[in-house]
Order: sequence, then C-alpha cells, then structure tokens
Amino acid sequence: MARELPYIAAIGEAVHQEMERDDTVLYFGQNLGLTDDDPYVKAFGNDRVRVTPISETAEIGMAVGAAFAGYRPVVQLYMSEFMLVAMDQVVNEAPRFHAMTAGQVKVPLVLQAGYGFTAGWAGQHTGTIYGMFMGIPGLKVVVPSTAADAKGLMTAAIRDDNPVILFHNYLLTLEHGDVPEGEHVVPIGEAAVRREGSDVTIVGIGWTVGKALAATEQLEGDGVSAEVIDARSLAPLDTATILQSVEKTGRLVVVDQATRHASAAAIIAAEVASEGFASLKAPIELVTALDATVPYSEPMEQYLLPDETKIVAAVQRVLEAAPVAA
Amino acid sequence: MSENGLPKERLIWMFTQMVRIREFEERVKGTFEEHPGVIRGHTHLADGAEASIVGSLAALRPDDQLTTTYRCHGYPIALGSDTKALMAEIYGRETGICKGYGGSMHLTDVERGFLGTSGIVGQGIPHAAGAAWGAQIRGKGQVVLSFFGDGASKQGAFHETLNIASLWKLPVVFVMENNNYQAYTRVEQEDANAAVGEPLAVKAKAFSMPGVTVDGGDPLAVHKTVSEAVERARSGDGPTLVESLVYRLSAHGNIIVPPGVPLHYPEHEAIAIFGNVEEYEAAQRGDPVPRFRAQLVTDGTLSAEEADAIAEAARAEMDEAVEFGLASPLPAPERATDYVYA
Amino acid sequence: MSQSAHGRLDGDVGLELLRSMWRIRVFEERVGELTRADEVHGLVHLSVGQEAVAVGVCGQLRTDDAVYSGHRAHGHAIAKGAPLDRVMAELMGRERGLCRGLGGSMHLVDLEHGFLGATGVVGGNVPLALGSALAARLLGGDQVAVVFFGDGAVQGGIFVESVNLATLWRLPVILVCENNGFAEFTPRSAHTNVERVSDVVAPYDVERETVDGNDVVAVRDTFARFLAEARRGSGPMLLECLTHRLRGHYEGDPQRYRQALAAEEWQELDPVLRLQRRGIAERWLEEDALPRLEQDACDEVEAAVGSARESPFPSPNATAELVYAQ
Repeated sequence: MARELPYIAAIGEAVHQEMERDDTVLYFGQNLGLTDDDPYVKAFGNDRVRVTPISETAEIGMAVGAAFAGYRPVVQLYMSEFMLVAMDQVVNEAPRFHAMTAGQVKVPLVLQAGYGFTAGWAGQHTGTIYGMFMGIPGLKVVVPSTAADAKGLMTAAIRDDNPVILFHNYLLTLEHGDVPEGEHVVPIGEAAVRREGSDVTIVGIGWTVGKALAATEQLEGDGVSAEVIDARSLAPLDTATILQSVEKTGRLVVVDQATRHASAAAIIAAEVASEGFASLKAPIELVTALDATVPYSEPMEQYLLPDETKIVAAVQRVLEAAPVAA
Repeated sequence: MSENGLPKERLIWMFTQMVRIREFEERVKGTFEEHPGVIRGHTHLADGAEASIVGSLAALRPDDQLTTTYRCHGYPIALGSDTKALMAEIYGRETGICKGYGGSMHLTDVERGFLGTSGIVGQGIPHAAGAAWGAQIRGKGQVVLSFFGDGASKQGAFHETLNIASLWKLPVVFVMENNNYQAYTRVEQEDANAAVGEPLAVKAKAFSMPGVTVDGGDPLAVHKTVSEAVERARSGDGPTLVESLVYRLSAHGNIIVPPGVPLHYPEHEAIAIFGNVEEYEAAQRGDPVPRFRAQLVTDGTLSAEEADAIAEAARAEMDEAVEFGLASPLPAPERATDYVYA
Repeated sequence: MSQSAHGRLDGDVGLELLRSMWRIRVFEERVGELTRADEVHGLVHLSVGQEAVAVGVCGQLRTDDAVYSGHRAHGHAIAKGAPLDRVMAELMGRERGLCRGLGGSMHLVDLEHGFLGATGVVGGNVPLALGSALAARLLGGDQVAVVFFGDGAVQGGIFVESVNLATLWRLPVILVCENNGFAEFTPRSAHTNVERVSDVVAPYDVERETVDGNDVVAVRDTFARFLAEARRGSGPMLLECLTHRLRGHYEGDPQRYRQALAAEEWQELDPVLRLQRRGIAERWLEEDALPRLEQDACDEVEAAVGSARESPFPSPNATAELVYAQ
C-alpha cells in the first residue's frame, strides 16, 4: 500500500520504522528529541534518542564509537556543510576502521545531511558537496530524488553495515510522492531509469532529476526521445546502468547541482568516456552549477543553477554533433 | 596485601605486564637497528608509560572497553593479546592482529575490548564516548576508558566530548597521559594552563566533572585513582578526567626520512631539541619499571630471583614474537581490496 | 554589577544609547515584516530584544577595531556603523547592498566601518577574531577584536581551541556571548550541564564577567573596563550578557519549544523600555519625547527601505568576476 507523503516525512518514517525493527538503531543530533512528547522519544526513549549540543566532531565521533560497540547510529546533521566541521570523523575515521582492523569492527552509521537549499540560504548553507565524499573507500553516498526513494534509501542506509551519507535536497523537502507504508528498501548501488527513451541519455542526481524530466517534455515536443536516469547512489556508482543506456542512445548529458569539478557529473562522464567510448556518438555534455559561491540574491542564485533551458540546450548540442538518423 | 588492598598476585601481575610492555617496546625499537626495513612508516613507543597503562587497566573488568592513541602497543599487551600477532602487525605481516592492514598505529583486539585505534590526535576521544553510550544503554555496568595525550586536550574533539559525556553521565573515564610533549613541542608552548604552571586536570572545571592529577610513574597510585573514577562511572555518576603524569623514554616516534635512508629512533626531544639533558636523566632515574621492581623486592612481594625470572620470561616471549613476525609472510598484494565494505 | 547602574547616567550618553537601540529595534521589526511580505528572502535571524548588547559594546569601539558576528548579525553591523540603507539593500539582495546582494543576512561585511563579518556556521567566527587580534598585536597598535556569538557556540570544539590559543598568545580579543538560553531550538540544559558560559572558560586565565544583557548601561560599563585593558595589552576576555531573544531562531520559526513571555514580563525586561524608564526617572528624558524617538527611528528605517527598493538587482552574472581575487 502506498500513499502520499512529503519527502522529508518519508525519511523520518524510515528512521522510525527501522528503530522499531532494530533496537540497536540510535537517532541523535542537534535540536531533536527535545521533550517527552517528541514522537521518537515517546516511541524509543531517551536512551536511544538524544539531543546534542553543537558539537559535530563529537556527534560523528561518538557515532563511530557507538558503532564499534554494536549500535547503528543515525546522526541528524541538518546541513551537509556541518560535516565539514568534522571532516576527519567523516572521511578519515568512520570509513577506515573496517579496513584497518581487517574486519574486526564495522561502522554502520548514517549521516543525514541536507544540501542544495538554493532559496536564499546564502553561501555557507547552500552547497552541493557530495562530490568530495565519493571515492572514499568504505564510505557510501546516496541521494534520493523522490519521497519513495528517500524512505527506501534511508532504510537501506540504516541496514547497511558501512557508513552511509544520505544527502537529502532541501528543495525537495515538501515534494509529495507515493510512499509504501510498510517495509521499503531501495538497494544502494542501483540507479533507476525514470523514463525510457532512445535518442539521448540524461543522468540526473537528486533535485536535477526533476529538472531533467521537465526538460524531456519540451524535448518530446521537438521530437526528441530522451531517457532519464536517476543516479540515486553516488558511491557505489551504478555505471553499468548508465553505460547500458549510452550504448542504446549514444549521447550523454549529465545534470548536477554541484559545481563542475566538484560534481558527480564529472566522475560519471569520466567513467563513460573511458568505459563506453565506443558507444558515444557525440561528446558528453555536463550541465552543472557555475563555478561560484552561491550568492544570496535571487537572480544571481538562480542564474548559477542547472535548469530546463540549459538541459534542453545541452541536448540540442549533442544532437547537433550527432543527429539522429532519420 | 599492599596498602592498596591489592593481593600479592595482583601486584605481581601488574609488575609482569610492565616488564612485558617494556621488553616489547625495546624489541620494536631494536628492530630498526637489527632488521632495517621491516618496520615501515610511523611507530610510537610507550616505554616509560608502563605504570600508567597497567595501573589503569588493572582497574577494569573483562567486559570493559577502551580506546587509545597511536601510541597503542602497551594496552593490548596488558589485556592479553597475542604478542606474536602484535609484533607481526607492526611488521606488516598477514599473521598480524589486523592482518597487516593497520600497522603500529591501529592495533585492535575487539574481543578483549580494545576497540579501533585512530591515528589522528584526539579523535579517539569521541569514539570512546560513543562506546560508553552503548554501554549505558545496555545497562550492564560496563565502563570505557579513553586514553589520550596532553596534545589531544587542545583539540575541539576533547572539549566537545567531555561536555557531552558529562551532560549524559556516560560511563567513561578520560585518562590524559601528560608526558609534557606533543611530538616535539613542550606542553607550556601550546597549552595556556601549562604555560602558567597549572596541572592540565584543571580543564575538567569547564565540564562540571572531577579532574585529578596522579603520578603516572606509580602503578598503585594510578590504579587507586583510576579505580575510583571507574567506580564513579560504573555507578552512573558520570566521567572523570584523570591526568596521569608520565615521561616517555623514547622520542615521539621513529624519524621520518626519504626512502633509502633507514628509519631509526632519534634522541628524546628534551635533548635533541631543547638541550635539556638533566630533565632526561632525571626521568631515566625515575624509570617506573625498575622503580616498581625495587618497591616489590623491598617490601617482600617478590624476591630478586623471581623478578629476574619475570624479566627472562618476557625476553623469551618477545624473542618469539620477533621471530614469529620475521618468519611470517607478507599478505598477498591482491588482499588489498578485501575489507573495503563490510 | 556595574557602578553607574546606580549613579545617574549622562543625558547625552543616554539619548545616544536609546537612539541606537531604537534604530536596531525598528530595523529588525521591519525586516520581519519584509520577510513575511517576501521582499526579504531566505534565512533571516533577528535580534529583537538583544539590542543592548550590540549597542553597549559597539558604541565604544573605533573603526579600526574588528568586529565579527554570527548568523544573528544585523544589530551588531548597524551598531558598528554599517549604514541602514546598505544593510537593508543587502537583505533585499540588491546591488547597493553591503555585499552587492552576494552575502545576504548571514554574511554582512562592512570593511569601511570595521565590521569584518557575519558567518553562518556557529563558532566559525571565533578564530577569525583571533586572527585580527594577532594582526593588531603584530602591528603594534592598540586595536582590539570583538566577536559576538551565542551560548550554543561554546560547546563547539572550535571555541575552546580558540580560547586556549588566545590565552597562550595573550591576544586582545574580547569574546562577547549573548546568552539567551537557547541554541536554535534547544535550551541550554540540553547542551551542557555548565550553566554559565563564563564557567566554560574557568580553566583559563581569561578575565570574565556575566552581566544583565538587557541593561545597556551595565553592558557598556563592563565592556568599557575590558576595552581599556585590552588596549593596554591584556589577553582575551569574556563578557557574558544574559539576554532574551524575543523572536524565534529564524523568521518563520513556530517556536513550539518554548513558552512565550507574557507581555508584562517582556515590558520589564525590554532593554529599550528599561532605558527609557531610567531616563525619565533620572530626568534626562521627557515622557513626551518618547514618540519622537521611535518615530525618528521609523523614518530612518523607512528611508532605508525606500532606498533599497530603488536599487536594482545585481546582474545575474555578477558572480563570475568574484570567484577569485584579482
């Protein structure tokens, strides 16, 4: 049974259901579980649900330690930039121990980190920084684009025995979607084909998936059949699904809210260029944020971002380079 | 029974562990001379800190846990980890306690409560508090010891963790081994409290927790202090900051040099950098291992022959550890990607 | 706590303090309205109720003293001399804004007046102030650095790292904590069991005092003492100002986490009303002068709003030339 839930509630539902199912799951962070009326506190008590001070190094470090001791902590960080305060714990502690101890310890923690809030939250609260966490061995990164995937990926992240960062886009917070009521798991490491097509592959991540889908409507009117893939998982990255699509279409456009060299798009493009070169009929197009700290003022802020117009233009460029045979 | 109320066997056990740790560390250091190239990268020795290590661990139950710093060899030795596996790990062998994946700075023996060791100063402190949170939830009275150096007490992780641990009354004891040096820097050069002659235990004031300073060269004093802190934690009253004054007899670590030049141990920074020979010689005179030996022989707990026998047994054990390490194979190269994901 | 709390305040000084506080009060309330009317976008944090701290401190500083603040910075910027119209323009994202619309509410900077900046991540500003203090020390002048932060910041590692270093190096930095009892949506008791912020620095040789932050004269007098010492070459000092944040953490915060103050209670605490009552009692202020004071502030703020509205939005690609310093 599915019913409509907003994206942010779907994430919460996953946390709640997993905490019910597994009493080693902990949930903590700043500004949560404040009173006995809080639903998490009511359901799970003050042992498993705790509010912390503004102490990201300790929050994430303690998650690592609690994981050593057999627990499965979920740390609510609110904004992904706050992980930067505790970069050591995220990149150089949590993902290292399973390997350094030859498997003696596991670090099954989840970092819940919002991103991309390009709604006037200005330079330090608006970044799309998942790129810097890709390629850290042992660290998984997921980016849901729908409410259902938000629940499914959070569930999978909690059940995963590795540290996982779940990046949820703040612009999608109230986006409603059909979300299964009961247990719902979306496997980590699997991309999703959101729309089938034959002329061009458009890969989107998080918020840009919706932009890509909107662009395909215009393209449809121009007689272009676009296939849209939602990457969903950035580490591990499902290059197989993307390569399979490019083999069919021969053309690739990747749309990413991050800036070019910090984007997942750049890595996806490198993978396709090296592993799928034979399939490509045209150069790969990257539609990313422009290289600047996100400005506060709205017209500038919006100017930086990928949008339907830019996506359509990129598709037109690849089609120009390699027109579809009549 | 001693003044501590400790039975003779316990005292002998403590002495034995101190001797074993010293012998192990000496053999690690010796490896640089005798078998250059076998130990790669960084290693850090705890010779001089034996009394603090053993006195602290003697206060624990078998189901307690601990995290330490990269200066970690001594703790698993006292906990009973296989010294052959420890040496093999330092030698990077597949028979190492972490199968060669971690090396000297990341010794781990989860079964004995010796949780993952971080190499980054201060970052193991929140790990210990997280494990203590787990212990609190389980409610079986387990305690976690968090060992770190004086250098770590300037890290944000120290401040953040002690605040939370105090607020949540976590069953953790913070043991700061103050050896007056953070790598090559003297503590007064980097610590505002030390700069005005205050003990670092005063930092506890900021966290509403007790802070106490103890002579880390006296295993019984350490045992008494840490036991009190452990009991406080076990009973749910929260953490304590124990400042244990030690002197490490070796330099911070082996010297890092370009490839081709053998790694070796330089002189202690007191001499090499600060020219303070008197300080170092005084520390040698106060060496906790012979000091404790003399105490036990004087008060009749041990005879000189028995003490010698313990030293001999330790030498034999560590001979075996070295031989085992040297004889063990290196891991197959393709094993490198074995433990990426759990 | 302060001597002249009991002595009569000089009338000119009193009026100046009152006008400054009114200016900030009216400005902040107007920004609140403009946020609801969608003329000011994004994340905005108002300092209504905390004016006495900004005014009591900044009024005594020189242009070459560096002031840093956090996300709740409008009052500090204005008190330090940032012109109302340019602050308002920044909040409206216009070209005439202090940062040409690039920074917004949480990133105000006015170098000309020595307001070196507001930062958006809690605690991140403290080491910046140390840098300014270090520069002052090295250059041999008697400038000081002042940094404003809230009670939530002092549990962060970066705070104590900074206190240790500032003490060790005897840096002329004055740490001003606006302890309003809440860090975002949580009360202080959820963050620490150390009640007074000044106790957090107890281990260090840092001169510290806690004052009634709603008594602008108490703030001013204590700060004056600290300032004199800092200029003479003392080390860091901490001024903890107990105050009250009248509005939510951010504009739009439903504030379910605390009881609203009764109107009568607020009348007692309100720093502006308190100084007015004192002025009347001490006879340097006439009852019938009160409406004029408020009106003057309203006129000034309205002029700022008008000027800001007239300023155009920056051109969308204005950020391109600002990525790197030239």
